[in-house]
Amino acid sequence: MKAEAAAAMRAALGVAALCAAALGCTRAEAAEAFITDQSGDEVSVLDLTSQSIVARIPVSGKPAGIAMAPDGKTAYVTSTEGQYVSVIDTASRKVISKIAMPDTPLGIAADPAGRFIYVAGFYKPLLYKIDVSTRAIVAAVEVGASPSGVAVALDGAMIVSADRDDNQISIIDAKTFTRKSTVKAGTHPFGVTIDAQGARAYTANVESNDVSVIDLKSAQLFATVPTGKRPYAVALAKGKGFVTDQYGGTVSVFDLETLKPLKRISVGEYPEGIETSADGKSVYVVNWFSNEVWAINADTLAVTAKMPAGDGPRAFGTFLRESL
Amino acid sequence: MTRSMPKVLLAAIALVALALPYAARAHGPTRQKITESIEINAPPEKVWAAIADFHDMSWLPGVAKTNGDGGNEPDAAKRQLVLDSGATIDESLYKYDPAERTYSYRIEQVDVKVLPVTNYSATIAVLPADGGKSKVEWRGAFYRGYPNNNPPPELNDEAAIAAVSKIYRAGLESLKKKIEAGK
Repeated sequence: MKAEAAAAMRAALGVAALCAAALGCTRAEAAEAFITDQSGDEVSVLDLTSQSIVARIPVSGKPAGIAMAPDGKTAYVTSTEGQYVSVIDTASRKVISKIAMPDTPLGIAADPAGRFIYVAGFYKPLLYKIDVSTRAIVAAVEVGASPSGVAVALDGAMIVSADRDDNQISIIDAKTFTRKSTVKAGTHPFGVTIDAQGARAYTANVESNDVSVIDLKSAQLFATVPTGKRPYAVALAKGKGFVTDQYGGTVSVFDLETLKPLKRISVGEYPEGIETSADGKSVYVVNWFSNEVWAINADTLAVTAKMPAGDGPRAFGTFLRESL
Repeated sequence: MTRSMPKVLLAAIALVALALPYAARAHGPTRQKITESIEINAPPEKVWAAIADFHDMSWLPGVAKTNGDGGNEPDAAKRQLVLDSGATIDESLYKYDPAERTYSYRIEQVDVKVLPVTNYSATIAVLPADGGKSKVEWRGAFYRGYPNNNPPPELNDEAAIAAVSKIYRAGLESLKKKIEAGK
């Protein structure tokens, strides 16, 4: 109730519009998290201000991956036991469409221009390009075995897939939708994140307990950073990398410049999805076993909030809805 | 939209469709989790003392003996449970916290015929309960025994959950009996 009132007030005041018009005003602070609750067969909507769940959207087929459209109006969700991508209207909290897939989808990412989504088919090594206006697959490109995480550079020109069972990433040119190169990473890379400059990609390597830092221009492995046990995904904030360690129950933090480990922060059990808020101040961590979302201050590295989720939250991808 | 789709892609999708009946028919395995707990009428220190040795699983019914080394040192300690049937389960310790009275371990090797799970990890913890009692919680995370789609019934999600639950229940009840009888 409180959250709805707050949202209504923000809408009435036209905060988002004012913000967009004002000089030097960046995007609104992260306001909601759309969490794929895999065991619960739903997406729960967490209001990050009131720190409570404000909606539960039923999504069948064990939802796991998620990509938030850049304008925050649409969320795209993959189901590991369904051959479809569910399209969620974030404002009405409803599944408005299902896009049929020729394979089990897992990793998913949205093109920053808002025209396409890219979905990895887990069993066939293909990355699919979907036109969001027609919700049709318009292209497919071969990648490595068991493609897991997918990331798109901020300028939209480059897409990277973490090809888990081939211990590599594939670098794809978005315009031609062809694979330009592959780069060896650690063992079983799962999540992959590209920095804001499009210079480096970071993979969380589940079996080698480290992060591969890959230079995208030269398509070379640049460095390897040790993490806690079973790293799953990487977020970048305030010049630091934040890695969820599933078995460790920790977030490993390292310096993006020196690539030296800085700290290991205790979080909930089996942390998985992780994402930085648009203002770069907070990192949100989704804990699969303990059904929680924790917030970390990216400067002080202090845990600032512990919030509820539905059952078995994964939130593998981009789950924060930044603008209202 | 089809008209802008390259012919090669159409061919690829057709091939994929053909492959469907025997390949990925949309049932990728999903990781499962269970939590079982029991209240024991004894203080947490006493209950922890009964389970604190990673190499003593005598309280778990069906375990004939435990072999191993590495003490209670995370990443060093390994144990092998030898079951009454002669089958074995190899496990390793990855977290150990006596102050919090909890440890976590994973299965390195087990035949799915013995325990129908893969990628199994677990945590056991002793928590304080009202009236000076304890609550023991045993939490497991695992995938079913069959890693691909269309598992046989004995290796599906339900079979994995049932098998792990059964062990946890039997173990917790045996632990309760052992500790409460020893008072």
